[in-house]
Amino acid sequence: MAELTYRDAVARAIAQEMRRDERVVFLGEDVAKAGGVFKATVGLLEEFGPRRVRDTPISEQAILGAAMGAAMTGLRPIAEIMFSDFMAVCFDYVANEFPKTRYMTNGQLSVPLVVRTGNGGGVRFGAQHSQSIENWSMMIPGLKVVAPSSPVDVVGLMAAAVRDNNPVIFHEHKALYSIKGEVPDGEIVDTLGTAKVLRSGRDCTIIALAMMVPRAMEAAKRLSAEHGIDAEVIDVRCLVPLDTQTILGSVVKTGRLFTVEENPRLCGWGAEIVSIVADEAFWDLDGPCVRITTPHIPLPAADHLEDIALPTADRIVERVSRVMNGD
Amino acid sequence: MAASRAGARQRNALSNDDIGIDKRLEMFRLQVEIRDCEKRAYDLFLQNLIKGTSHLSLGQEAIAAAFGAAMQPGDKSFCTYRGHAHTLARGVGMEKMLGELMLRDIGLMRGKGGSMHLTSVEHGVMGSYAIIGGHLPIACGSAWRAQYLGDPDVAVCFFGDGTTNIGAFHEALNFAVVWKLPVVFVCENNLYMEYTPIGDVTAVPHPAGDRASAYGLERIVIDGNDADIVYRSARTALERARGGKGPSLIECLTYRHSGHSRADPAKYRPDGELDRWLERDPLKIYRQRLIDFGIPANEISRIEERSREKVEEATAACKASPPAPETLLTADVYDDGGWAWRN
Amino acid sequence: MGANVVMPQLGETVAEGRIVSWFKKVGDTVTAGERLFEVETDKVTIDVEAIEAGTITEIRVGDGATAPVGAVVAILGGASANEPIPTPKAEKPTGDKARDVAKAAPSLIAFEEVRTSRGLFGKALQDGIRVTPLARRLIAEQGVDLKGLLADRSNKGLDRIAIKDVQAYLSERGTFRSMAPHAATAASASLLPPSLPVGPRDQVVAFSNIRQRTADRLAESWRTIPHVFQALEVDFTAVDTVRKLQKDAFKAEHGLALTFLPFITKAACIVLREYPEINARTDGARLIRCGDINIGIAVDLSHKGLVVPVLHNADELTVPGIAKRLGRLVEKARTGKLGADDMAGGTYSITNNGAFGTQFTAPIINAPQVAILSSDAIRLRPAVVSTSAGDFIAPRMLGMVGQSFDHRAFDGAYSAAFLSRLKSVLETRKWDQEFG
Repeated sequence: MAELTYRDAVARAIAQEMRRDERVVFLGEDVAKAGGVFKATVGLLEEFGPRRVRDTPISEQAILGAAMGAAMTGLRPIAEIMFSDFMAVCFDYVANEFPKTRYMTNGQLSVPLVVRTGNGGGVRFGAQHSQSIENWSMMIPGLKVVAPSSPVDVVGLMAAAVRDNNPVIFHEHKALYSIKGEVPDGEIVDTLGTAKVLRSGRDCTIIALAMMVPRAMEAAKRLSAEHGIDAEVIDVRCLVPLDTQTILGSVVKTGRLFTVEENPRLCGWGAEIVSIVADEAFWDLDGPCVRITTPHIPLPAADHLEDIALPTADRIVERVSRVMNGD
Repeated sequence: MAASRAGARQRNALSNDDIGIDKRLEMFRLQVEIRDCEKRAYDLFLQNLIKGTSHLSLGQEAIAAAFGAAMQPGDKSFCTYRGHAHTLARGVGMEKMLGELMLRDIGLMRGKGGSMHLTSVEHGVMGSYAIIGGHLPIACGSAWRAQYLGDPDVAVCFFGDGTTNIGAFHEALNFAVVWKLPVVFVCENNLYMEYTPIGDVTAVPHPAGDRASAYGLERIVIDGNDADIVYRSARTALERARGGKGPSLIECLTYRHSGHSRADPAKYRPDGELDRWLERDPLKIYRQRLIDFGIPANEISRIEERSREKVEEATAACKASPPAPETLLTADVYDDGGWAWRN
Repeated sequence: MGANVVMPQLGETVAEGRIVSWFKKVGDTVTAGERLFEVETDKVTIDVEAIEAGTITEIRVGDGATAPVGAVVAILGGASANEPIPTPKAEKPTGDKARDVAKAAPSLIAFEEVRTSRGLFGKALQDGIRVTPLARRLIAEQGVDLKGLLADRSNKGLDRIAIKDVQAYLSERGTFRSMAPHAATAASASLLPPSLPVGPRDQVVAFSNIRQRTADRLAESWRTIPHVFQALEVDFTAVDTVRKLQKDAFKAEHGLALTFLPFITKAACIVLREYPEINARTDGARLIRCGDINIGIAVDLSHKGLVVPVLHNADELTVPGIAKRLGRLVEKARTGKLGADDMAGGTYSITNNGAFGTQFTAPIINAPQVAILSSDAIRLRPAVVSTSAGDFIAPRMLGMVGQSFDHRAFDGAYSAAFLSRLKSVLETRKWDQEFG
């Protein structure tokens, strides 16, 4: 067992998979010599060499297209898109090429690749470098979408993503890179499509993702201490495949649902979950399903403004307690 | 008479023939079959048996046939939505291709992809791509894999003149040169980008050839209607790539006999332009080439007859094939064959 | 016999065309490639040619008239008729292969993708009071006095009823009812385990499809069947002698190992004929004695789950025949190729656990069967052997053979007699005669 930062967990996960399978290769901008602009891939070039860990020009379309061509013909590439906002630059591959190829070719081709990207706000990079875009990939049939909240989940879910034969979009959170967590020694492989109940509770279900998870946990502690509300907290971890069984199992127990989402309001990932719950667990609900999200605005660079925009533990406590009391 | 003709063939086999009679016969057969099959596709479209859209290669057969003959079976080809010719040229059966256009179960992808996405991994046809320029970086990826694993295959990437103006073209060329990838980029310049003359939308006269130097590549602009010329260029580029010397960019000048797609009967072309190009019809040129090399007329006719027979056989097989069963709707979204996004 | 001339597909989004003028009239012959008519859409004007030769016998859409794409505009006699499009053949949906992490949940319909909650439990607004869905369900399912409850709330000046309000109302009147979850996900509602908390050192491993199916089936069997286990020691020396003699030739001919299992299976088939209550199925109310003997053999899939493929009519096979059929089934099981036929129709099961040296195993019955045989490690051990010259200690191949049985179907004496007879068959049968 060791305490690792989230960023070290990224390197650890990639190294674990690259040691195991020679077909795993890694490309991106400044990922090799510089170890990544977030220092999340330090040491990989030294261990695996310049044939397997490659720096590219600033060419997002070429990066993803090359990853796809290599994946289609026998390798298992990991491609980095530095800031998740840049997915918009190469979105043709994410929307049109990766996820449709197996279907259109009637199963002749597969695209076993992982796109890892620095997602989320709270780091004062401004509107075009701070977005939470995990919901963009959730909308497209044929992808898998992951967003871990802890170092151990980074390792386990990255390993699962690399071993998955489908295109996986892996959202690392920029503001979580420096958090620490316990990671067991040895090989770690998790399972995509499984949510984790981090805190058991009776009164309401709070579902969160990535950076919202520690905030939801903090809020649950205070809801219990200050309001006598015993919240169950679930870390979704994967948007696709979605572990609806764990979520529904929790909601039928508590009768109340809250989501905490960093993405802006419209069409955030929580909207889909609320829809499923309202459909399948309607007669188990004892009150409205409520989404706690960033407002539907671009993110400001100013720190105090950004801090109010993203859901905080305060805001979660306030909203949950108010709604639970029937207001 | 027969003896002297055979003697003539033998003479030519020994002197000036760097291509060889077998390859020539193969290229002729491919061009004839592509022409006949595409004409049948046109008819079937008018009969509403081919639905949606269909981008024909009539007039551009030489490029696909020559590369088809020059490539090795393990080489990987990537083409655009105008990919019927390239699919046939790699050896895919006519009934599989026409069947896919007709969206029947016998089709290459059982109707799931359609005309614009013809794929046959077994033949090295690694997809036909409808997003302009999207497949150029993908071809680079296949080449990267070959380079990494030490595989001997080359990626060959076909696209039109309009592609040279899109971002992915420039990213892919730069990427391929910087990583010295075994990929051949083939621009089929048929002088029109959809309905617009290429000169109206491109900064340089030769959309690919004049840009090669921007990537440190040799300028290669050739007559795309003479299969021998294309073959030689293909062979050189493939050898270069296979030898680890990196990519090539080849611009083949050609002409499209019909419109951009079935919607377009091409009335935007200047008078006489089509007629001038019909004089340079690749099939006309190559038929004469075979005669020049002493192939007897009846052998040529046999190839042409057999081609027509194959088209009829394929058409009958496709008409007798049902559409795919409805259960195919949700199959193969994911690698496990299913479509489950939730439990 | 004539071919239809149709309004052609003129463009990707064009739905109809107007015939500008015909170049041919009724009675004209045409050759393939000859122009028939000129047609105009909002995008283009083109000439339409004849696909094949024939004579125009009828013109249905004339000059200046409009028709939708695909409509018949004329008939060409002497040309081959249009073939109808064949109907698609039925095919098993491959989507079922997908590994979804369902916990006993029914599969999703493609066009709904949800398991919509069923039931109608009354209106949300009743007498000016808003009632939550959960509360409404409790009221309806448990027959709570709704009028009374609404009046009670109204008197208290409250405009809302949630579940705690219903439960409070009931407690005040001395009754309390707990709620079972309603959503389809909780189909096995009472079986839903409490949500498992997961710590940072823990790892979540979802059950695979096979594991889940196995788990649910075994849990169900365990819950409903009163299991009793009996075992006895069998001397396999005679079997082993024949086995050792035959195994090399068998391996050479069939590429398969010759283990004890085919012998045990054959012996079981023989004895099952004599004990018909054991080769049977039950629903807890009646016993169905099965005419065929179909033996299910438990196969471990590399510790990832169990399947029990069936040897149909195993009593008609010889020992080598059983060994061969078994080899094929195991191969199919390990490569995931078992079909529905391979899994259905079992009347008795055998599980062989000897590989790891265990002494005995009390297996779980494969409902609706009534018994299951287990064999464990067969090893050289000291045994007392009685001869005419006296009793001696000798090394013999000994192993425990056990049976779990459904005590609703028959009693211990019956089962014990079966085992005793099985032992006798294994120890005294002329096994060499199985290998012609």
